[in-house]
Amino acid sequence: MTRHHPDSLTLMEYSAGNLTEPHALCIRLHLDQCPHCCSRVDTLDSLGAVMMEHQPKADVSESMFDRILSRIDSDVEKNDVVRRDVHRMSPLQKLLGEDLDSLPWKRQLGDVSVLDISERFPGQSEQVVLQKLAAGGKAPAHTHRGEETTIVLQGAFADQKGVFNQWDFVVLNDQDEHKPVAVGCEDCITLSVLSAPVKLTGTFTRMLNPFIR
Amino acid sequence: MSTLEQKPARAEGRKDPWSQMLEKVGKNQDRQAYHALFEHFGPQIKYYAMANGLASHAEELVQEVFVSIWRRSCLYDWRKAAASTWIFTIARNQRIDMLRKMKRTSAEMQVETEDLWQIPGDNEDEPVTSLHRLMSERRIRESLSHLPEEQITVIAKVYMENKSHQMVADELDIPLGTVKSRVRLALNKLKVILQDQNV
Ligand SMILES: [Zn+2]
Repeated sequence: MTRHHPDSLTLMEYSAGNLTEPHALCIRLHLDQCPHCCSRVDTLDSLGAVMMEHQPKADVSESMFDRILSRIDSDVEKNDVVRRDVHRMSPLQKLLGEDLDSLPWKRQLGDVSVLDISERFPGQSEQVVLQKLAAGGKAPAHTHRGEETTIVLQGAFADQKGVFNQWDFVVLNDQDEHKPVAVGCEDCITLSVLSAPVKLTGTFTRMLNPFIR
Repeated sequence: MSTLEQKPARAEGRKDPWSQMLEKVGKNQDRQAYHALFEHFGPQIKYYAMANGLASHAEELVQEVFVSIWRRSCLYDWRKAAASTWIFTIARNQRIDMLRKMKRTSAEMQVETEDLWQIPGDNEDEPVTSLHRLMSERRIRESLSHLPEEQITVIAKVYMENKSHQMVADELDIPLGTVKSRVRLALNKLKVILQDQNV
């Protein structure tokens, strides 16, 4: 069970459909493993429904309904053909395949490897990065400029704020400086969405988070 | 609140009329019920499209949403969401989808909108557990009537105009912190935040 959850304001932006795709992906991956946050999102979705009901209404014509009927009549897909198969595969698998270890990782420093997957999200301005910290490995201390949203995909890491396990969700900003360590016997892999480039404070110049904040 | 949630809500009478109609569409392809849903939700969805910058595509969005309601109605499970919540999530997803498709080709969309934003009940593995799902709409409707207008305004802009908290702050010319605290106060009343503490 995860211990670190998105805050309510972020979940509300998600429920409203206002998050960018990479941010929504981080939330989705967390929700898939966190019944607690799912129920918070259920409540927020209901809030959306009630807000929609509270707003003014805009007239719709009967002819529009006729057009809808003719669409469903000419529908080749039968009602019961709509099944959930499409959703069987996790969005992570769709994006990255089954095996995270076989991705074309780029070694950065001793224990840290990275893979920039920003181009998988065309039209988004954020940087989307996978990072791997070798089991037992340490990342150098770092801080960030802007905000960084991270979800743990595999393994766990620890810093002065605590231990972050698989599917834990964490947001960091320029106030946070840390020195993460991969704990447990697995490599720790994270997915991070960066709203701005990482601030380079130390001797390490091209370093990225969350191992490098 | 908790005593409300603990009451069993299985009785047919607890189902709101829209959820009953949506079930009829799902089970019997009932076109009369479908038409009633269109008359009730169509104008809401059209306004939703107009409010969030899809004015020239408002009717198109309503059509897409209703075609989607028809196709998916067999998956609707009233125990997982009230009809209005289910329909809101479909409208939200169709809006996102429409905006995504305007910006890029389908080949560029590796991940579908519904991989990122789920419709309640789509995940079969998800257990039908909490009665609070059923109660939540009723509870929200009640709580909302006690919220100060300034909190409702902020929430409406987030949901209906799809503005980020920052954009709402800019528009109302108030600090971002004020926007966030209004939302927090409201979510607190609506028990979304209280749930945070029960982890
Ligand atoms: Zn959670």
